[in-house]
Amino acid sequence: MVNYLIRRLFVILAMALIVSFVSFVLLSIAPGGPLQEIFAMQSLSTRLDPDLIERTMKRYDLDLYLIPRYLRWLTGHPRGPLEINGQSYFGDLQVGCLKEGRARLVYPDGRVVEIDCEKPVFLRDLVGRPVSNGILALDFGKSTQILREQPVMRLFESRIGNTLLLMGLSTFLSIAIAIPLGILSAVKQYSRFDYIFTTLAFIGSGMPTLFMGILGILIFAILFKELGLPYLPAGTAISARDTVVPLFGTIKAGSFVDRLWHLVLPVAVLTIFNLASWSRFIRSSMLEVLRQDYVRTARAKGLVERLVIVKHAMRNALIPFVTLLAGVLPGLFGGAIITESVFNYPGMGRLFIAALTAGDYNVAIAFILISTFLVLIGYLMSDVLYTVVDPRIRLS
Amino acid sequence: MATATAAGVDIAAREPVALAKPEGQWTIVLRRFRRHRLAVFSLALIAVIFLASLIAPLIAPFSRDGVNPALRFSPPLTPSVEAGKIHILGTDHVGRDTFTRLLYAARITLSVAVTVATLSTLIGMTVGALAGYYRGMIDEALMRILEFMSSIPTFPILLILASVLNQDPRLLPFPDFLVNIISGIMLIDAQKESRSVLVVILVITIFGWTGAARLMRGMVLSVRERDFIESARALGANNLWIIGRHVVPNAFPPLIVAYTLSLAEGLTTEVALSFLGLGITDPTPTWGNMLNFSTQFMLTHPWAPLIPGIPVVLSSLAFNFIGDGLRDALDPRLKM
Repeated sequence: MVNYLIRRLFVILAMALIVSFVSFVLLSIAPGGPLQEIFAMQSLSTRLDPDLIERTMKRYDLDLYLIPRYLRWLTGHPRGPLEINGQSYFGDLQVGCLKEGRARLVYPDGRVVEIDCEKPVFLRDLVGRPVSNGILALDFGKSTQILREQPVMRLFESRIGNTLLLMGLSTFLSIAIAIPLGILSAVKQYSRFDYIFTTLAFIGSGMPTLFMGILGILIFAILFKELGLPYLPAGTAISARDTVVPLFGTIKAGSFVDRLWHLVLPVAVLTIFNLASWSRFIRSSMLEVLRQDYVRTARAKGLVERLVIVKHAMRNALIPFVTLLAGVLPGLFGGAIITESVFNYPGMGRLFIAALTAGDYNVAIAFILISTFLVLIGYLMSDVLYTVVDPRIRLS
Repeated sequence: MATATAAGVDIAAREPVALAKPEGQWTIVLRRFRRHRLAVFSLALIAVIFLASLIAPLIAPFSRDGVNPALRFSPPLTPSVEAGKIHILGTDHVGRDTFTRLLYAARITLSVAVTVATLSTLIGMTVGALAGYYRGMIDEALMRILEFMSSIPTFPILLILASVLNQDPRLLPFPDFLVNIISGIMLIDAQKESRSVLVVILVITIFGWTGAARLMRGMVLSVRERDFIESARALGANNLWIIGRHVVPNAFPPLIVAYTLSLAEGLTTEVALSFLGLGITDPTPTWGNMLNFSTQFMLTHPWAPLIPGIPVVLSSLAFNFIGDGLRDALDPRLKM
């Protein structure tokens, strides 16, 4: 078991590394970023100021080659030549190029080398240059556009709570409702309840979350307000000022009730979406179990039907659901992005979209990394849980 | 009436029904599919939307990007005085005719969905069949890739890819013939608009083929051990023939169902991408970016998001229902 966990953790780290490298490469070949703004600004007024461009490139490591840049971003190193016993090594290693062109390098020993770069950057030039502590120290660098010069982590701190609240609440509600619904519908197969349930669940899973959110706003925020009914807010997480809701009373801005009030619609949308597919899954898994011999045996020995269903059938039917839960984790992040965008909800997903649109790549990459990591941990947890709920399975 | 005549007629004089050629597999499937009313209705609905988008240039009352600054956010059925025509579904935030744009958008959104679904199913089928049939290294590699792709949050990565590729055309130049085909099918400007459509198709396909590959691999694994494969091999059939003639047709039914479902998925992914502003962007109309603009002005013009929203929901549900109907029709164990 311990061996297995250690091995899995290594796999998780390796996968997170691959994802980080791929996203880093993608975003570093992308245009935009800090330089884009300078180009846009200066093309309006005068000619480009080469000094400013070079300063900005140095500031954001844009003059470095991909690999040293990635290493500095990931680990915070190299920060200069290698120092061993007062001796420094590799100071002459070229790690980047500030300006394209050609240059002649004259070494102290008289060698002359032609290189394809007018202003090469050497390892020794990196001494004293500001650098993050690296991803491994949980320092995701600084935001370049959204909140200039602020650490990415600070941006996340204000958002991650909102997202976890949204996702946690909706996941909890979905599980709490999906299990009894799915089981009831399987136990009463072909009844009217089952028929209505399967139809609704089918429609719910085929309906895009995007439109469900828009429809929710249309009905509960706009229409209800028009009609003078107790309405729900159309977006954001807290009101700017106290609001009077008909038949309900005043809601104080920033209070607990206010937060809940803002959560109702987005949580409902995410819940309905999950509910539709999860309860269908539980229904079919329960139907499968109800056909098994041990259920017939339990009935034959005269157990009460309730006991048969709860103790013998339900427990077994929920085993595959544990893996399903891990499998939907990646999708949860996608769903949260869309839902947060529709409701203008200040969470990680909307921050990610804002970062992509503004070209703030440090923020975008941090989002990808954090969500990848959480998803992988989720998978691991589901594997461990699997052994708990199903003693036939051993991890090795 | 019919029974009365039948009873009156001499049995010997009847048509020899029993001797007629037995029904083919697809006739049975068609007959069973027709019983699923919602699926048939969905198919008709999709056909109507497809047809409307096919003849969009003929039935569109206005030009696609024609702006009428005097008429912004006009409600449905607003007459346009100077043109002498009616804005059937009103106008959008800059005064373009919504109905016209909806038609062109249907053409783009649906063809993106069809292209994505077809490409990812074909790629998945090929990869899955090869891996399942040959096993060994190919299979091992495929399984690792599938495992990797199913355990990372694909949607954010898809968004990054789309946003990066859309920003700089030099990063990934598309061949001219592809650009021209796309601009021809979707009636869009080859130079300015085709690119973002191609990027969206490419990006969704990259993350979309895994489902079909997994399905195909599973089917091939279960089929390849069967006796008729062995006898085909004994008769001297080579691998390619066995895969093409025996393995693929046997794995076909679930693939068709998966194909219809991936149509729905392709559609919603494109809509989501364009809604978030990272897919196909204005002035190229798609249901997604029409939704994006109409929701921005939703508090003052609440009906606006419904116009692109309803077709999105209807076609997404319709593809799902068709898939459901096909699943029932193709399953021989299910008695109907």
